[in-house]
Amino acid sequence: MEHVQPPGIHPEHDVSHKRPLAYHELRDIIDLSLWAGQMLLQHGATSQRVEESVHKIGTGLGCDWLDILVSPNVITITASSGTEFRTKLRRVTSLGVDLGKVTAVNDLSRRIINGELDRFQMRTELEHIDKMPRSYNRWLVVIMVGLACAAFSRLFGGDWTVFGITFGASAVSMFLRQELTHRYFNPLLVVVVCAFVAGCLASTAGLFQLSDQPETALAAAVLLLVPGVPLINAAQDLIRGHLVTGIARGVTGLLISLAIALGLLLALSLTGVTL
Amino acid sequence: MNPQLAALLADAFWSAVAATGFAILFNVPPRALFGCAVAAAIGHALRTWTVQLGLPIEPATLLAATTIGFMGVYLARWFQSPTAIFTVPAVIPMVPGTFAFRTMLGILQLTTLDIANSGPVLTEVSLNAIKTGLILAALAGGIIAPRLLFRRQKPVV
Repeated sequence: MEHVQPPGIHPEHDVSHKRPLAYHELRDIIDLSLWAGQMLLQHGATSQRVEESVHKIGTGLGCDWLDILVSPNVITITASSGTEFRTKLRRVTSLGVDLGKVTAVNDLSRRIINGELDRFQMRTELEHIDKMPRSYNRWLVVIMVGLACAAFSRLFGGDWTVFGITFGASAVSMFLRQELTHRYFNPLLVVVVCAFVAGCLASTAGLFQLSDQPETALAAAVLLLVPGVPLINAAQDLIRGHLVTGIARGVTGLLISLAIALGLLLALSLTGVTL
Repeated sequence: MNPQLAALLADAFWSAVAATGFAILFNVPPRALFGCAVAAAIGHALRTWTVQLGLPIEPATLLAATTIGFMGVYLARWFQSPTAIFTVPAVIPMVPGTFAFRTMLGILQLTTLDIANSGPVLTEVSLNAIKTGLILAALAGGIIAPRLLFRRQKPVV
């Protein structure tokens, strides 16, 4: 990361080679930086990534310095240039992991450092990224997620019957998850329902004695719901010293795991299969 | 073929499938999918192999995740993209999902037991929780190891 001197307590004494920005320019830059930071935070970037990218974008567009506060659901930025500064905060809600958007914003920050974009072109680019559709259609996601969970059942030593049952159970569960999320149900409730359905379907392996390893199907079929990204990001944030976001993401992961267990337990008590 | 090698290759193949599935769920750009699959296959097979050699699962995970972390750095340079798009999907097959929900299942089970019978379940819950925590720490520490080791910088402010 490029090393820029912070402006210090008296910005007017700071020697900067950059042209002092006008108030309206600063407003534009802080809006754009906030938008980029919001998109990164919403789609599963770590706090460090958000801070670095926003800082690069802001200083690349002409500010002397940016201070960024990343909180679990708010992002606050102060941008300084010459003797002027502006501060703004924006509310952020998690919209699910989309590493495609993270890549696009990262690419944008690289182009800004290289001086390929000014702030007007950047607005167009951000609008484009915001509207960017996902790279894979939903049916491909359903099939591939089913296949991924079925692959987990092989890794746990399941046979081909278990493989088939896991595929079916987790694909149906994924489809249900898309449908419920689309209708703005509470995310934890969605996980409970999807774990319940996956658990009921995977129990058929044990119920009809289709395989002698019914527990493998149960364990693998709910893995699509495991909060992998929140948990890994939580640990990364904690290691890097972003304690507040780290703890918040960890608790999110914990609650989702609890929701999975709850859904599975309901399914098991309904079907009478033991894990 | 040597049966042990065949088992390792199968392990690598299925973890690559799992990582690709999750990479698609996370909307990783199509050009990066193959990198995710290869990193996951090498990482997970390395963990399985070192566990077979007698290493406990936590240090084996750290070793595998660190390998994925370094592969991520080179892949990211190659594709001009953030390392996270390779490393995060690649470690997904090693996320202790089963340990995590066994912990939660145990906690929920505790509510139905009386004090005399809850001892073994409580012990199991603690063990699973500790394993989950340690494996997660190993995964995260491993994938940011290259930055912790080689991209240090003086804290600003």
